[in-house]
Amino acid sequence: MPQTCGREWNTDSKAMKHSISFLLFCSPLLFLLTACDPETTNLDVAGMFSGSSPRADKRFEDSQAYNTQHGIDTLSAQAECYRVYVCTDTHVDTSRRNYLAFLTDFHADEDAPLAIHLGDLINAQKHWQFFVETWQIAPRPAGKRDTMMVTLGNHDIYFGQWTEFKQYFHTSSYWFVVQTPSGAHDFYLVFDSAEGVLGEKQLAWLRSTLRWAKGQPFRHRIVCTHTHLFMQDYSQGHTSNYPLEETYELLDLFASNDIELYLSGHDHCREVTSLQGCTYIVVDALEDPAEDPAYLVATISDRITYDFVSVTR
Amino acid sequence: MKNNVFWVIAALCILSSGIQAQVQSGDSLYALRLDLGYSYNKTYSHHFNADIGAFVPINRHFELQADVRLSSANFYTAAAQLRPKFPLKVGELYIETRAAYRAIVRNNIQEATGGLSLGYRMQYINVQIGCGMRVFGPYGMKYHSSDRFILEPFIVLYRVEAFVRPQTSRWNIAMAIGNIDNWQMERMWQPIFMLGGRFDADRHWRVYLSSECKPTGMFHLNAAFYAADLRAGVEYRF
Repeated sequence: MPQTCGREWNTDSKAMKHSISFLLFCSPLLFLLTACDPETTNLDVAGMFSGSSPRADKRFEDSQAYNTQHGIDTLSAQAECYRVYVCTDTHVDTSRRNYLAFLTDFHADEDAPLAIHLGDLINAQKHWQFFVETWQIAPRPAGKRDTMMVTLGNHDIYFGQWTEFKQYFHTSSYWFVVQTPSGAHDFYLVFDSAEGVLGEKQLAWLRSTLRWAKGQPFRHRIVCTHTHLFMQDYSQGHTSNYPLEETYELLDLFASNDIELYLSGHDHCREVTSLQGCTYIVVDALEDPAEDPAYLVATISDRITYDFVSVTR
Repeated sequence: MKNNVFWVIAALCILSSGIQAQVQSGDSLYALRLDLGYSYNKTYSHHFNADIGAFVPINRHFELQADVRLSSANFYTAAAQLRPKFPLKVGELYIETRAAYRAIVRNNIQEATGGLSLGYRMQYINVQIGCGMRVFGPYGMKYHSSDRFILEPFIVLYRVEAFVRPQTSRWNIAMAIGNIDNWQMERMWQPIFMLGGRFDADRHWRVYLSSECKPTGMFHLNAAFYAADLRAGVEYRF
């Protein structure tokens, strides 16, 4: 129990006054935190105490309902060696310059059948249409067929926006396969970590799906989500990630199921860490005001290599 | 009637690792304690814990505390705290040096954490702030492989605690928020809310109850319940 065990410590009547002063000091801060007007702020401050979208288990149920109806996607690569474009934290609001540059590069790459967005697609509410339109207006060579897979970031469910996300993207937890001409299959799993925890149902699904995938003859196994696993620096200051128990459970899951690559964002700062056969990558933010916006291009063949591409190059 | 109300309050309110309200009349005493607890979190689901602890007042200016936790979720923790302290005209200043080792056998991971914090405690308030670092990695690392330890070099440690009665009271209740308790130093952005209480049956025996609630995603601005911990224990002081 106590940390301050031990002998009685000195006191006098001032102690109570100090306590009251402390509480009075804290009260205005709490008031300021909770008084922000959701119409004028990008941050859902009330979410600090209770998230405004359905919690992880309900979002997972919604996603699985769609997955069951829709089935599993199998994408076709035109060559044994193909590229995957990965971006995160575009935070699209009134400006989308970097995101548009990313899409333009992706569409122009003939060997890239797939892009993955790791969450925080938009910055606040009311920008979904603007985000989706960007995909439509990005220049694309005639005949180029490509797909972008997305998952949720914490910004995407502020102000109850899970409804809008579902309307546009339907699911936040799913897996799919990329098939090459020779019949090799690469396994990709995308999960929802928008609230810093998976929830019991999604974690159970992750355990069983990864165990199943380990038993299949996939060439590569890759996991994608929004939240990063480690706090090796405080690059973004206030970004939280998983509780420690969840961190260790995920590390063990990935190590024991032969996951080769864990792609995440959220931290806005590039980080590459290898542990027990898995490479954990935090991709740079691509939002317009980012200091050095960049995305990742992974080249998938018999092995996986990757490069970071700066959009200010 | 008054008696009944007291027992109802004591039973309802019970306690947390927060409950610092350790004080006896006179000098500090050695203490041994044992508690049993139930925990739930969204990763391990339901599990039970057994905790053993000791408190050693080395002299007027130093105290030592040691704790061990065994969990049915198959993780084990040993922690120690050395606390130099400096009585002031009002309250007491202390420096807390913490070290903890956790074997998360279920995940084949071990973790070591160290921390240093400065605290100030009065009859009704205890405030503590400091920093620490953590290393963790797999057991049996294979060198010349990608195995390695992960270093989290800077953890801000904090704890604010309020008591409803003076420390010398026979019973007390405390509420706390912080990212540290006797067994863990969580990441800065994972606060733990604690509520606890104790009752001194006589000079030697104390009973205590504690509870903790750990939300997650507060600084994702998407808070959700993550974990709860309940403990009941006895302490013998001599």
